[in-house]
Amino acid sequence: MSVAPISAVVTSSVTPTAYVSSASPAGTAAAGATDGAFASTLASSVDSLQAMQANTDQLAVKAVTGNLSDVHDYTIAATESAVAMELTSTVRNRAVEAFNEIMRMQA
Amino acid sequence: MGTFGAIGIAGSALGTYRKWLDAVSDNLANVNTVRSTSETAFQARYIVAQANDSQGGDGGGVHVAGAAFGSAEGRIVYEPNNPLADADGNVRYPDIDMASQMTQLIMAQRGYQANAAVVDRAKELYTTALQIGRS
Amino acid sequence: MFGSISFDAMSSALDALSLRQRVIADNIANVQTPGYQAKRVEFEDALTAAVKHGSGTVKATTQTSLEPTREDGNNVNLDTETLSNIDTNLRYQLASQAVSGQFALIRAAMRSS
Repeated sequence: MSVAPISAVVTSSVTPTAYVSSASPAGTAAAGATDGAFASTLASSVDSLQAMQANTDQLAVKAVTGNLSDVHDYTIAATESAVAMELTSTVRNRAVEAFNEIMRMQA
Repeated sequence: MGTFGAIGIAGSALGTYRKWLDAVSDNLANVNTVRSTSETAFQARYIVAQANDSQGGDGGGVHVAGAAFGSAEGRIVYEPNNPLADADGNVRYPDIDMASQMTQLIMAQRGYQANAAVVDRAKELYTTALQIGRS
Repeated sequence: MFGSISFDAMSSALDALSLRQRVIADNIANVQTPGYQAKRVEFEDALTAAVKHGSGTVKATTQTSLEPTREDGNNVNLDTETLSNIDTNLRYQLASQAVSGQFALIRAAMRSS
């Protein structure tokens, strides 16, 4: 059974370097072109997250009932879900920080 | 066979080899079982092993397909002092060769140990799989 | 990241090694079964070739061993199977660690800012 990559979560408008650099507010602001685009990107990421979690739950049930022939399929899917969740959460936090920073600047 | 397939496969072998060990022990215990000539001799028991159907790599293992029995005639031995002796002084001994039974005992034991080792190694492998991503 | 060749290659290796573990268990279970032919799992060559061409996904194949048979028609070599079993275990641990390492890298990258 092959493991699907989670490339759908990290969309084209958010590059890896954008959220790992220490100057994150500037990075994330540059990554999200407009508010609408970023919000819809985040929304679709959450959808794929739910799909991934559903897949993980399904694999867990198969593993526990003795129907999953490769147990690493489940553990890899579980870790992918967890990391994807953390990724999305980090991106959201950075976006909120950046927004607050910009609001402060304008005040 | 399921999620931890290798363990199930080795488990089927453990059962089969244990039955083989039991059969050989029984044969050895009865190597001197005397019967009168009016009965059949004690017959040695041989386990017939058969591979399980491995459906596309997910099944597998082995099972006991049946038992074969040794000669019913046994060996006729002249023992006039034996209480079971017939009119000619003959009794029936089983036709069991100690040497070949001992060889089988060792083979069965080796097979049992090899499969017990497979269970250990499979357990290690599956434990490793369960550790992925847990840091 | 997750769609990378290296991740796919490790994932394929885990699938193949897990299959090999089952096949070895089957061979050892049938070490005394008359007429049984030992099975082998092949994936290394296919994986090396695939990685050269930029893909990491391969499917393992099962073949019959061509080792000579003993008089009961069985050709399982217990020593070969035992060594292969240990080798498979260690390689599985290696592939697992590689996969775990990739996840840990991403998590560390997230935490560093």
